[in-house]
Amino acid sequence: MTFNTGVRSGEGLTLSNEGVMEKSTTAMRKATEGDDLLGYIYPHLPMELFLAHGLTPTLLRAAPGVTSGFESSLQTFACSYVRNLFSLRSDEMLEHLMGVVFPSNTCDSLQNLADVWSFRFPEDRVLRLTYPASRGGHPEAAIEYFAEELRHLSKTIETVFSRPFVAEQFDRAVELIIAFRQASQTLYASRVISPSVISYNEMTGLIREFLTIPSPSTVRPVQDAANKVRMAEGVSEQTEHLEAVKQALTSGNLSGIDKHIPLDDDGPRLLIAGGMIEPQSISALFDGASGVTDSTIILDLLSFGFKSVFAKPVAPQDDIFVGFAESILSAPGEPTQEGVRERIEFLCTLIDKLSIDGVIICEQSFCDPDQFEAPSIEKAVSAMGVRSVRLPIDPELSDRARLEGRIQSFVESLED
Amino acid sequence: MTEGKEKVYRQLESNKLLQQIMFRYMLEGHAASEEHNLAWVTSGFPVEIPVAMGVGVSYPEQYGAVVGSQKVGPTVCGFAEDVGYSRELCSYARASIGAALKPEESPLEGLPRPQALLACNNICGTVLRWYDAISEITGAPVYLLDTPPLGDSQPEHHKEYVKAGVHSLIEFLGSTFNTELEEDKLHQTAGRSSTAIRLWTESLEACKSRPSPLNCADRFLAMAPVVSLRGTDYIIDFYEALLDEVKTRVKDGVGAIREERIRLLWDNIPPWFNIFRFFNGLAKKGVVFPADTYTHAWSGAIEGTDLIDSVASIYSNVYLNKGLDAKIDKMCQLIRDYDLDGFIMFSVRSCKRYSLGQLVSKEIVSERTGVPGVVIEGDMVDSRLFNESQIETRVEALLEMLL
Repeated sequence: MTFNTGVRSGEGLTLSNEGVMEKSTTAMRKATEGDDLLGYIYPHLPMELFLAHGLTPTLLRAAPGVTSGFESSLQTFACSYVRNLFSLRSDEMLEHLMGVVFPSNTCDSLQNLADVWSFRFPEDRVLRLTYPASRGGHPEAAIEYFAEELRHLSKTIETVFSRPFVAEQFDRAVELIIAFRQASQTLYASRVISPSVISYNEMTGLIREFLTIPSPSTVRPVQDAANKVRMAEGVSEQTEHLEAVKQALTSGNLSGIDKHIPLDDDGPRLLIAGGMIEPQSISALFDGASGVTDSTIILDLLSFGFKSVFAKPVAPQDDIFVGFAESILSAPGEPTQEGVRERIEFLCTLIDKLSIDGVIICEQSFCDPDQFEAPSIEKAVSAMGVRSVRLPIDPELSDRARLEGRIQSFVESLED
Repeated sequence: MTEGKEKVYRQLESNKLLQQIMFRYMLEGHAASEEHNLAWVTSGFPVEIPVAMGVGVSYPEQYGAVVGSQKVGPTVCGFAEDVGYSRELCSYARASIGAALKPEESPLEGLPRPQALLACNNICGTVLRWYDAISEITGAPVYLLDTPPLGDSQPEHHKEYVKAGVHSLIEFLGSTFNTELEEDKLHQTAGRSSTAIRLWTESLEACKSRPSPLNCADRFLAMAPVVSLRGTDYIIDFYEALLDEVKTRVKDGVGAIREERIRLLWDNIPPWFNIFRFFNGLAKKGVVFPADTYTHAWSGAIEGTDLIDSVASIYSNVYLNKGLDAKIDKMCQLIRDYDLDGFIMFSVRSCKRYSLGQLVSKEIVSERTGVPGVVIEGDMVDSRLFNESQIETRVEALLEMLL
């Protein structure tokens, strides 16, 4: 039942993490011939805004194999993701970017990274977008605050890059992002019902390519894949269920998921929890684990996966910045924000509704949000009688053999 | 003041009063908890609000310092590690999580159990996640006062957002503790808070004198009430006594250490488990620390007709909520104002907000001020992360440049 959309590596094999990075870097460099790339780090960025200014937002990822370059500027207890990004810049691997947008008020490592970056590379154009961390107490105030931050960012882009906001470009961008979200949400929902209909590696690869260069040419393969999985055996006969799962994941209200959906019963069903971990790194680890395939991954809750895909589109309204703010702040919650209880409840409901057998909890070294949330997830999952394993991971996959062994043992334990 | 000439370090007489005040603070915390009227608060929280509303407060960061100074950091942090909290996380957080899990095996039998957790992220982003963890253990709800980091100035929309948060806080406290905010009481509390801060600031500024009347350890101990009891009346007596003693020392030309030869700036939280050994060891070599970036952080007074507006401004503009530029400017200003010969930056593995950026700021501060500095790495509570011999070597290298 495996469905090959033809966008995997030539031999149909899972790309290694290094391969994925090389592919993305090549895509970014090719794009510089025609696009003006602006890098960003935190996934919840209004891509439409940058496209409306005639810039192409490109999600920066940590790169395997880049292990040095940060030492004279950052201590070793900066999170591994931050160290890796800084090393990329030190090693002059981000030369093709016009600038970088840093998040503020998300975590302390990223907060201070922007400062250090500005001092070390004064020629770089460093932009900041400050997010409200509060989600519950006074939501209207958070939206107003964030809308002003976005308005300020738009003005800064116009000033720094001499690129005004163009309404027609904005309209096209909105269409593009909606098309991406709808197609990628279909892929995610399809895998919940039939995880072997498209490999996790292939799906996240398509999403990654789009987030690297959001354009009609990168959205098309996502749409093609979505159209194909809709027609595939295991999904085509469950259109209603597919739409219900998609709607439930989009709204965050899982009551619409019927627990009696016929599900593929081929091996354990895993959920991947974590923050700013590259989904394709997870896929690469599964590929390296003997006797394990990534079709056991039913769903991830990662920042660059699920949380990027299931944000709501910008709704048309008089003040587009309010629209951006509402869209971003309604995205699935990150451990950088308030709301751990709601996140854990959501996770537990997913486990229940999607018949999850085991949870892999990813945590990057020296990442406060990951490492604080991991024990809470572990405890909640255990209380449901579901097994979990914690996976300490860094972007370099420096402990790869051990991580693969851990995954293999965990999956085997679920099969027993 | 009685002092033995042979001692390298001169004790403050006002420390006796300090001990009484901190003992009272502890008793009041337990009493408030028993009455279901206790909130835990972060050090940068606008505590004047809960105090004016009659809510008792306790400070987990201050408790972390107690755990550190009693040299049981590895044990108490270990309780948190046993249930899955990484050793890479903040040791203040691990200490309070550990003590909440096993109070009977922790100093002072842990902090009294809270009925609410009040976090303000103007000191770091960790506090939210830390308090969420405590909430899981105690069941107390968390209120986050979100004060996003600032650049050069506070834009109007930022202030409005924080003000909305303060109003929401008042509602939260009202419903949680069945109380309300009376404007008169807030004025009185803010007045007492401002008086204590003014007295404290005067004591700090007296250290511009040569010899410096206070050393680092003096200030780190004496700051406890201004951190944990702002807004109460009885800390004013202490800060008046401290200021009198400091002024007397200045008038008499008596320094905090016997022979002042080198004046340094300290950056960051101290290693609580080693505080006397470290600073007194350097005092023997004639090294005094007339200023530091940590104890100078409590400096803003709440005043004016619109106190909520003032709260939103003061608590957004705290030292750790500003960028690296502001930190560098502050260090340079302290070095100049206090006529310092160099600086030591303690790179605290627990505190990313304070520490990441120090490698850059060390270079810039040296360049701007012309004085040398050194970065040493360790932790404030967890002594397992403190390599004493390595630190000594680095500090010695700095002193060789200065002697």
